[in-house]
Amino acid sequence: MRQDRAFTKDAHRYLDGEPSGDLSVAERAAAERLVAEALAYAERSEPVGPALDEAVMAAVRRHPHAGRGSAWGWLLTPRPVRIRPVWIPALAAAAALALWLVPSRSARRIPEVGSRVVAAPDTVYVRFELVAPQARSVSVAGSFNGWQVGAVPLARVADGLWATTVALPVGEHRYEFVIDGTRWVPDPTAHAQVDDGFGGRNSVIVVGPKGLVRS
Amino acid sequence: MQPSDGAVVRQVLAGDVEQYRLLVERYRVEFGRYAVAAVGDRDLAQDAMQEAFIRAFRSLGSCRNPDRFGAWFFRILTNQCRNAVARRRDTTALDAVDPPGGERADAALERQELGARLEAALARLTPEQREAFVMKHVDGRSYEEMAELLGIGTDALKMRVHRARDALRAAMGDLT
Repeated sequence: MRQDRAFTKDAHRYLDGEPSGDLSVAERAAAERLVAEALAYAERSEPVGPALDEAVMAAVRRHPHAGRGSAWGWLLTPRPVRIRPVWIPALAAAAALALWLVPSRSARRIPEVGSRVVAAPDTVYVRFELVAPQARSVSVAGSFNGWQVGAVPLARVADGLWATTVALPVGEHRYEFVIDGTRWVPDPTAHAQVDDGFGGRNSVIVVGPKGLVRS
Repeated sequence: MQPSDGAVVRQVLAGDVEQYRLLVERYRVEFGRYAVAAVGDRDLAQDAMQEAFIRAFRSLGSCRNPDRFGAWFFRILTNQCRNAVARRRDTTALDAVDPPGGERADAALERQELGARLEAALARLTPEQREAFVMKHVDGRSYEEMAELLGIGTDALKMRVHRARDALRAAMGDLT
C-alpha cells in the first residue's frame, strides 16, 4: 500500500462527522468519493424481499419447538452432563447411575418399583438420567412425544441427578433434554447424534424388539 | 400499534409460533441491507439471513433480554454473514473480483461502476473491517448504534472503520 493512499487523521475525522482541520482539495475529494461509492453501493444492493418471511416460517413450522438454547452455552456454564442408558432388570434398584431397559414382557413388573408407565407388548422401558445440579427442572422431549416440552419430566433422584423411566415403542427415536423449560441439550453420551437441520444436534436411541438399545 | 419484541418473544415461547413472523418481517427490513452489503451477494445474504432467523428461533429461550431481541439477533446474523463471506472466498478467486484500474475514459461507464468497484474492494477486507465499514457508511449507523449491536467499544469500532477506509482507498486506486 502506498502511504499516500491512507487517509489523514483529519480526513477520518471529517468522514466520522467530527470537527477536523482543513483538508487538501485532493484529500477532501477522496473522502467524498468514498462516501459516494458507499451510497451508490447501498442503492445498488437489492433489499431482501418478503419471500424470506415465508421461507423462515415454513422451516420453523416443521420443527415448532422454539426456545431451544445453545448446547454450547449450556455446556460451558454448568457442570458436566451425563446420561447413560443401560438395562433395567425387573426388580433392580432404580437408583443406579445408568439407563436401564427391560423387554416389554418383563416390564410389567416395573410399576412395582415405582414406575407409573405401563408398557405395551412392543415397548420397552427406558430410563433416562441426566446430571444437572443447577437445573430447576429437566424433561425429555423427542420424536416419541411430539417434542413437547415438559410432557415427560425427570425427577430429582439424587444430588444433581435427574431421572425418569419411559415406555418407548420399538424403533429409532430422537430426543433431547430440556433444562428449565428452555435449554435444549443433546445427550453427550448418546451412541449417535444427528443434525436437526437447524444447526443443533438430536440424540438418537434405538429400541430393539428384544429391548436392545443403542444410545 | 406493533407489539414489542419482548411481547412477541414471550408469545412465541409460549407456543404461538406464528407470531415469530412479526420478528422476521421487522428485522428483515432492519438488517436486510446490512446482510446484502456485508456478504456482497444478495442470494448468499438471503441464505445467511434465513439461517440466522431459524437459528434464532431454535435458540429463543437463551435470549436473555427479549426486549432487545434485535441486538441479540444481529449477533447471530453477523456470524452467518461472516460464514457466508468465508464460503464465498473459498469459491471465488480473488482475481475474479479485482477492481477495475484507475484509467477511465468513459464517464458513463464510470457512473455505472460507481459502487461496483467498492463491492470488489470490500471483498478484500477482513470480515471485521468489512462489517464495520458497511455498518458505518452503507447502513449509515452511528458508532453508538454499532457499539450496541456489536457489543464492541466505539474506539475499537472507529479503528476498524479507519483501517477499512485506508484499505479500500489502497485497493480502489485513485479516489479523486
